[in-house]
Amino acid sequence: MPQLGNLALAIALILAIYSIVANIYGARRNAPDFVVSARHALWAMCAMVTIAVVVLWAALLRSDFSLEYVAAYSSTTLPTVYKFTSLWGGQQGSLLFWTWLLSIFTSIAAFQNRRRNPDIAPYALAVLAGVAIFFLLMMNFVTRPFDLLATVPAEGSDLNPLLQNYWMAIHPPSLYTGYVSATVPFAFGAAALITGKLDDGWIRSTRRWAIFSWFFLTLGNMFGARWAYEVLGWGGYWAWDPVENAAFMPWLVMTAYLHSVMIQERKDMLKVWNLSLIGLAFGLTLFGTFITRSGVISSVHSFTQSGLGPYFLSFLITVTLAYTALLIFRSKDLRSPAEFESYLSREAAFLFNNLMLVGIAFAVFWGTIFPVLSEAVRGVKITVGPPFFNRVNGPLALGLVFLMGIGPLIAWRRTTTSNLVRSFAAPVAIGVATGIVAAAAGLRQWYVLTAFSLAAFVLGTVLVEFRRGMNARRHMVAEPRAKALVNLVAKNNRRYGGYIIHIGTIVAFVGIVGSSFFRTEVKKSVHPGDSFTIGSYTLRFQGLDETDTPHLESATARVQVLSADGREITVMSPAKLFFKRPQQPATKVAIRSTPASDLYVVLAGIDDSGQTATFEVFLTPLVFWLWAGGLMMVFGTVIVMWPNVRERAAIATALSRSSTDARELADAAPGGE
Amino acid sequence: MRIRPRFFIGGCLIVLAIGYLIFSSIRSTSEYYLTVPEVAARRSELGGQAIRVAGRVKPGNIAWDPNSLTLKFEIVPIPDVDAAAVRPVVASDPVSFRVICVGEPKPDMFAPGRDVIVEGKLGPDGAIAATQVMTSCPSKYKPKQSQ
Repeated sequence: MPQLGNLALAIALILAIYSIVANIYGARRNAPDFVVSARHALWAMCAMVTIAVVVLWAALLRSDFSLEYVAAYSSTTLPTVYKFTSLWGGQQGSLLFWTWLLSIFTSIAAFQNRRRNPDIAPYALAVLAGVAIFFLLMMNFVTRPFDLLATVPAEGSDLNPLLQNYWMAIHPPSLYTGYVSATVPFAFGAAALITGKLDDGWIRSTRRWAIFSWFFLTLGNMFGARWAYEVLGWGGYWAWDPVENAAFMPWLVMTAYLHSVMIQERKDMLKVWNLSLIGLAFGLTLFGTFITRSGVISSVHSFTQSGLGPYFLSFLITVTLAYTALLIFRSKDLRSPAEFESYLSREAAFLFNNLMLVGIAFAVFWGTIFPVLSEAVRGVKITVGPPFFNRVNGPLALGLVFLMGIGPLIAWRRTTTSNLVRSFAAPVAIGVATGIVAAAAGLRQWYVLTAFSLAAFVLGTVLVEFRRGMNARRHMVAEPRAKALVNLVAKNNRRYGGYIIHIGTIVAFVGIVGSSFFRTEVKKSVHPGDSFTIGSYTLRFQGLDETDTPHLESATARVQVLSADGREITVMSPAKLFFKRPQQPATKVAIRSTPASDLYVVLAGIDDSGQTATFEVFLTPLVFWLWAGGLMMVFGTVIVMWPNVRERAAIATALSRSSTDARELADAAPGGE
Repeated sequence: MRIRPRFFIGGCLIVLAIGYLIFSSIRSTSEYYLTVPEVAARRSELGGQAIRVAGRVKPGNIAWDPNSLTLKFEIVPIPDVDAAAVRPVVASDPVSFRVICVGEPKPDMFAPGRDVIVEGKLGPDGAIAATQVMTSCPSKYKPKQSQ
């Protein structure tokens, strides 16, 4: 069986190489047969990588410890679901999984473009095949998933206990999906540069891919934060660790890209900027893999250090240089006839929003690589921790939120003063009122007051937009309000889905600000029967329950939670786990979540006699809203991606009339599939 | 694409503001990331400076009082496997620092001989007053040879 996996990967590599050659030859010599055969080669490549994935999965499920990978990341006692997720628990497996996703997305892109974009699609597919070649080379020659062990161990060394958690089961696939799908718009951007077809065709052809990628990057970051919150037991969800930053930076750049392409579509401006952003987004996905896999930057929860670093760095540098050279080569053709007219325009708001997002991404990048830079320049490794990131990104986030309120309401090109007053009077009033109420309620930190006021202002602008749209509809058709709202969103799903994402972002932002500024913490060692207080809660330690299974030992504390008036609210059970293979302790946090605040109880230690237990308890206001906002963002993105029935129908009718019309219509439709 | 000068100026102002923010924050939030021998070598210039020290917990001399949440131990250099083979380690006076961490629970993986990262400041008495002790966790486990 392992030989089958190796063989499949070798054939996949050959197919990928063939596909590049055939695509480019076919496109240059105008030989459609070659382009078709290149497409078929990509599909065959996808089938081969799928076989390799199935072989590895089968080995994991059968606990075939003759495979080094299975012995290193699984065991007979590992629950079946985690045997399944062990595929991305280690390095070789995650690379294989990555390559699999890439080959699937490449195949889909090849299918979508079998009749569309005959000029750029072959080059885009060649670029995708090129990226696949890099990963296939790694797996064929550098870090092979199907290597065998000389002596077969009786038992595997198991998946890292921290990864035996359902968030960890879904977090890496989401993030990888987001990372890998960003390759498709990048490939089309590169193809546009190679061919010189620099209109917005490449953007329209891959808009859905970009949103899809953003969707999964959002999910991946949210799942990762949630995992950190539930599993790591330090009361927070984001530590600005290099690994987290690596996932956050592509998200920021993708967000900037999704906004700035709107300007190119509308105004034919910012071509260079858009091409640069998508190149940057792709580069950052490689950079993320590089820093998590190379050990160049020490991370508290570091992954396996391996020899992959130099390969990724070389690939990253090659891609960056080639792409930059292409941009310079085409710079003359990328000049835009249009120009910015006024600060008070949507273009300007979008431009500044882009500067902010890229600025945050740069600050995060700088903070992440600073230890390496300072060591190279000054000979001392200087690290910057969360205080750096919070100090820099805090003000930038405020600027971004402000622009989020301005952007959607302000007119394209230029806005008159009366227009401004009409659009913004109500939202500004809402924002100011919120600030006054918050100050009256006793909030004094200027940052919190500003943040809450701006958040209310943005929510106000979105409400104004929804009201405007509903009124316009009800002006034309007599509909009850609720129906008008549903139809409004359904008929303009991109626009109003986008607003829902904005609401979700604001809600999450409020959660982040609240949880960052108002968290309280109590650390206490107590005997059974003792109690202590945090906020308005009294916690009474009742005792420990111990269990022992072949997989793990655990000690669970019973902690009674009493309200201020002495009523029992609940009993929480934080636990200390001790995994037997590998021998490693872990913490199981108990969380009681309410919209107002989360009570977060960690059993931090038990002394050997079992008489004293040490607790770490956090009371974190508003953190609930971070997850709620995340859900709203996800919901909004689903609405944006939802196929618009009317457009499909229009395309279908046109198809029956004539194929050229249909192609134009298909290109014009959002997503353009 | 032509951009009018005033837009260019607006963009530059934002970029400069971001640059200043990064620059000033780096200065005020930086921590020296050092190994135990480096702390010994730079002892004189580290007073009051936030440091992060990577080292190994010296077996023996570990005191943990759960009631006051006080952890005291000694931190020694992490032996360099390759270097030790080439030149023999000088046995006399190996560098070590006392670490005192108050108010934090003992980390899960804390044990003699374990590699840790200590965050804190070097006191005038030569002991590190730690605000946090983190165990660096090995994410890859070697299969047990005996099995």
